[in-house]
Amino acid sequence: MKRLLKYALLTMALLATVAPVYWLITISFKHEVDQFAVPPKWFLFRPTIEHYLDAFFTRSFGRYFFNSLLVASASTLCALIIGTLAAYALARFRLPANLDRRLALWILSTRMFPAIVTAVPLFLIMRDLHLVNTQLSLVIVYTGFNLPFVVWMMRGFFAEIPRELEEAAMIDGDSRLGALRRIILPLATPGLAATAVFCLIVSWNEFLFALVLTQTDDAMTLPVGIAGRVTQYGIKWGAMSAAAVVAMIPILAFAMSVQKYLVRGLSLGAVKG
Amino acid sequence: MTGSVPPTRCLRMSIELRRLTKAFGSRPVVDDLSLAIDDGEVVVLLGPSGCGKTTTLRMVAGLEQATSGEILIDGERVNDVPPQRRDIAMVFQSYALYPHMTVAANIGYPLRVRKLDPGQVDDQVSRTAAMLEITSLLGRRPRELSGGERQRVALARAIVRHPRAFLMDEPLSNLDAKLRLQMRAELKHLQQQLGTTTVYVTHDQAEAMTLGHRVAVMNQGRLQQFDTPLTIYNEPATRFVAGFVGSPAMNFFAGEIDVVNQRFVNRDLALVLTDEQARQFQQLGTKQVNLGIRAEHISVSLEEKDGQPALIYVTELMGPETFVILQIDQTRLVARAGAEFRAEPDSHAWIRFEMNKAHWFDQAGQRLESVPSA
Repeated sequence: MKRLLKYALLTMALLATVAPVYWLITISFKHEVDQFAVPPKWFLFRPTIEHYLDAFFTRSFGRYFFNSLLVASASTLCALIIGTLAAYALARFRLPANLDRRLALWILSTRMFPAIVTAVPLFLIMRDLHLVNTQLSLVIVYTGFNLPFVVWMMRGFFAEIPRELEEAAMIDGDSRLGALRRIILPLATPGLAATAVFCLIVSWNEFLFALVLTQTDDAMTLPVGIAGRVTQYGIKWGAMSAAAVVAMIPILAFAMSVQKYLVRGLSLGAVKG
Repeated sequence: MTGSVPPTRCLRMSIELRRLTKAFGSRPVVDDLSLAIDDGEVVVLLGPSGCGKTTTLRMVAGLEQATSGEILIDGERVNDVPPQRRDIAMVFQSYALYPHMTVAANIGYPLRVRKLDPGQVDDQVSRTAAMLEITSLLGRRPRELSGGERQRVALARAIVRHPRAFLMDEPLSNLDAKLRLQMRAELKHLQQQLGTTTVYVTHDQAEAMTLGHRVAVMNQGRLQQFDTPLTIYNEPATRFVAGFVGSPAMNFFAGEIDVVNQRFVNRDLALVLTDEQARQFQQLGTKQVNLGIRAEHISVSLEEKDGQPALIYVTELMGPETFVILQIDQTRLVARAGAEFRAEPDSHAWIRFEMNKAHWFDQAGQRLESVPSA
């Protein structure tokens, strides 16, 4: 009985997460007449790839995809490099008057106000720097957005690695950065992978700043591009769905490629932060 | 060690600590410590946990900054020299093996960091591994090793690059008792082969006595005594040293000197002083003293009704000998007897003190040097 209940709940949870994705995928392969047929055509319909061709060849989704890929990976990389070094410093060095702990809290506090608060000032800054409508502006903003998260995640992971390991490395003749690279980072790989996935997802899905800071296909990312197909002349459900399906792929692929680290990384980070 | 042929390369250093102090906040952990360690010497820092011995070692390694005072290596001040450039190797209590590397990579790490070419690294690693009999383990990872094997790998990593000094922080304390004795002997043998200056930290007095050329006993951040194991055992400088070194621990009795009757007296005891002791006490004028006497200088008898009467509390058979714990009213003391000694609890016994072997300490715990004890 208990087992039955468990499986019923699991099935419901699975349905709730998978059903929209399934619906999205089917729409992307349906002719427009089938998309909103009543009753809905769940399983049997005549498939087509016309929406994919429409999205990526006649429309600019290919360009959005490239922009998204560039912005997400560049900002994730930047956030990881800067954030990991900062996290290491905060985890290992005691500053006078508890400054290290205050600094960590201060870094976290930058995530405590809604994103919209910074949208207008960031736009003005980017305008003055002539960076509006460039990928670089998004890379900068996303890096800043992800940094506190990286710092806090990695600080927890570093704190779990015994200090003696790098002390041993330094006595063995290595520099501190060498010990970080050769001893600490390899041991923190699960944490690094988990953190990278989170950053990538956040940057990949980010909508607000992309909307404010980009105007043309040159810099527009997928979320803004897809939403842009809702126009006064009609809604291109098929092309939007096709783009959304493709948009799922990179994150899914990355998450799967680092899966062996991910489980350990997520559970480790959860206990200590 | 003396008279043994020095190794082909004379890879040693002298280490000197001058008025070294380390405070965390306002609390001094190491307090005004001065020590001079000769090259090739093994010095053991001995003390209970929290006495500052590990902190001292970490300052010598360069992992901890001294609050004040100086650390000199071969006469040069190294307070501001980072650990990488001190040419010292350290074995940690936890071994600190790199978990993601194989044993071979662990041992070779100090050489790779020094940019030795891979051929040479392999060569040195296999030679060191052979020396410590861990050649068969080279392909394994630390988590697949037993405690004793990890210990050997940590030692191999320390000696592979021929450092000029070894620092060892309780290297044997994570091993079980049997293995600890075996590794202790191997460690001593290894050090004698290499002749490298060694600073060894432990809370185990047996390790200190067996391994050290000289032993520095520390308590609460302060150096109590720095001398050869024999002197430390026979002439402890403070009451702390006397109680810390030796097993079973020395018996102590607080009391006063009755000059007229030439006796040491307290509530439960009245012990006759030797003439020499009585004379010295008369000169000193000290009345309140602590008397320390080791178990082997107290003899117990069940038959000869001669000496101080006492009750048997328990007996502990140790194999070749028996520790007899006795009670005289409120006072409890321990004596050594032969393996054949048997007695029921609460049975009557008579004990005799070899007063010429007594140690005398003033109320502050300092040894009364002038009062003789043979």
